[in-house]
Amino acid sequence: MAEPYLRVENLTKRFGPFTALGGVDLEVYPGEVHALLGDNGAGKSTLIKTLAGVHQPSSGQIYIEGKPVNFRSPRDASAAGIGTVYQDLALNQLMSVTRNFFMGRELKGPLGTMRMDEMNQIAHDEMLKIGIDFSDPTQAVGTMSGGQRQTLAIARAIHFGAKVLILDEPTSALGQKQQMGVLKTIKRVRARGDIAIIFITHNEIHSRLVGDRFTFLALGKVIGSGTASEISDHEMRRLMSGGAEMGDLKQELAEI
Amino acid sequence: MIRRPEIGSFIVMIVIILALALASDGKAFNALGLKNNIAIIAQYGIIATGAALLMIAGEFDLSIGSMIGFAGMSMAMMLKWGLPFGFGEATPFLAFLITLAMTLSIGWVIGTVVVRSGLSSFIVTLAFLFFMRGVTEVAFRLINQSTQISGLPDYKQESWVADILGGQVFGWFYDLWFMLGGNLNRRGEQWVEGFDARFLWWLIIAGAAWFILSRTQLGNWIYATGDNKEAARANGVPVNAVKVGLFMFTAFCATMFAACQVFDTNTSDAAKGNLMELFAIAIAVVGGTLMTGGFGSVLGVIFGAITVGLVSNAVFFIPEIDGAWFRVFLGAILLAAVFANERIRKRITGGI
Repeated sequence: MAEPYLRVENLTKRFGPFTALGGVDLEVYPGEVHALLGDNGAGKSTLIKTLAGVHQPSSGQIYIEGKPVNFRSPRDASAAGIGTVYQDLALNQLMSVTRNFFMGRELKGPLGTMRMDEMNQIAHDEMLKIGIDFSDPTQAVGTMSGGQRQTLAIARAIHFGAKVLILDEPTSALGQKQQMGVLKTIKRVRARGDIAIIFITHNEIHSRLVGDRFTFLALGKVIGSGTASEISDHEMRRLMSGGAEMGDLKQELAEI
Repeated sequence: MIRRPEIGSFIVMIVIILALALASDGKAFNALGLKNNIAIIAQYGIIATGAALLMIAGEFDLSIGSMIGFAGMSMAMMLKWGLPFGFGEATPFLAFLITLAMTLSIGWVIGTVVVRSGLSSFIVTLAFLFFMRGVTEVAFRLINQSTQISGLPDYKQESWVADILGGQVFGWFYDLWFMLGGNLNRRGEQWVEGFDARFLWWLIIAGAAWFILSRTQLGNWIYATGDNKEAARANGVPVNAVKVGLFMFTAFCATMFAACQVFDTNTSDAAKGNLMELFAIAIAVVGGTLMTGGFGSVLGVIFGAITVGLVSNAVFFIPEIDGAWFRVFLGAILLAAVFANERIRKRITGGI
């Protein structure tokens, strides 16, 4: 196996007396989908915000291509090739697809003008590459479906140089059909081979469908990890419920 | 076409132009009627452009009217009583420049207070509405012993600055009209010489605003700031700088309004610009600007200014009607515009 693009070693994050992350290790390889699973409050959000430069780690180290890095701001992280697609997607509904795609990073011509035709073309092509043919990029984002918006946000992150794509529960707010659309998009990005994907989800079926490698978090600690072939369905279900045995849970419920 | 936000205001404008032409028997658009109508339209247009850009970025400025009063006072006072701190006589150029420096600084202060405090711009600029009007009156009484200045000398002959602000422009238009056999007074001579200079300033300001908003990176930032400022910030848009800059732009528009007035009439008054902030906002809304920000167009604001300007002047061309009908009309059209804009917004955002 090649070298991981991103490696996290013994990462901890404390907010005052509260330990959100208690020593997390993670390895993310290009061309792979790394599914990050865990219950609410397991530390998934803290972990991705630390990787995205929003939080600074209390201790531990992040490595990019083997070299230690320190992110002081989201800008540092994004310059190092970490592209985060948050749940709210950071899109503006009233603005056109193109204007959203290039928001804050517009292609400029003379007098601060935007090279609109070129930008329309790029926005269209980049979205087509990962699966949707959105013929009119001058349309407002508000008219797009949830899955299309997700694709737009992912295409934007890739176009602006993401080598690690962090997807924060991309399927959670969508209908069944659109969830499949997003999973297809994830597969297409994976097929490029040069981008590592961190896929955060609650949904074990979704993670099974696209995941190459799994990490389970509970209470800020890694309680299990491995490749798709190493982790059985039974083991997966056990880890999803925070490490408790199914039998114990059944008994717990039976006592009521 | 239907996606264009200015379509509603365009239709209303056409209706008003036709109705006024019919009701006034064409007098509203004869040589003098056109000049007088354009004069008020340009006044409204200048401040509404500033108000609209700021609204698209998600903020209000209620201090526009008081800023007009302050700027007019400041220029007239320097022209009459000389430069502050005994620096001698003020030329029109210096009076304008020093005033502009002050109003831009005040705009910067307002914008900075709004973005730093996170308070609603409604309340911050309401405070400046009272503050600036009060300062204007106090300054008038302290230095001038009266809240108005009239009978300033006419600077337009000797100063090109006074002339481009308060003089006449597009004389060729009326010359041409005269050569083609129109534009005649009762003695058969040329009647009107040109438009008020503020027409040119309106065209410059609206043209620049249109270019910036629809074609440039800054325009994209203005839309992004007003739509969802957290999304804009996450993508690296300097949201605060955009807002502060636009508060300075409304101050600039108010100053141009005042400068054109002072050098045209050679007078100033502490009550000048009263209620103008509300007209500016009303025109922006009639022109299709969303109250919630993120959407609007300069072209729509131009149509809105023409509509409101024509109706406010209508009483001069149709003497039978009571002038107060203007406000009845403005209220009705404003309400209609708000509903229309809301429908457009819902269609774009999928009904949320």
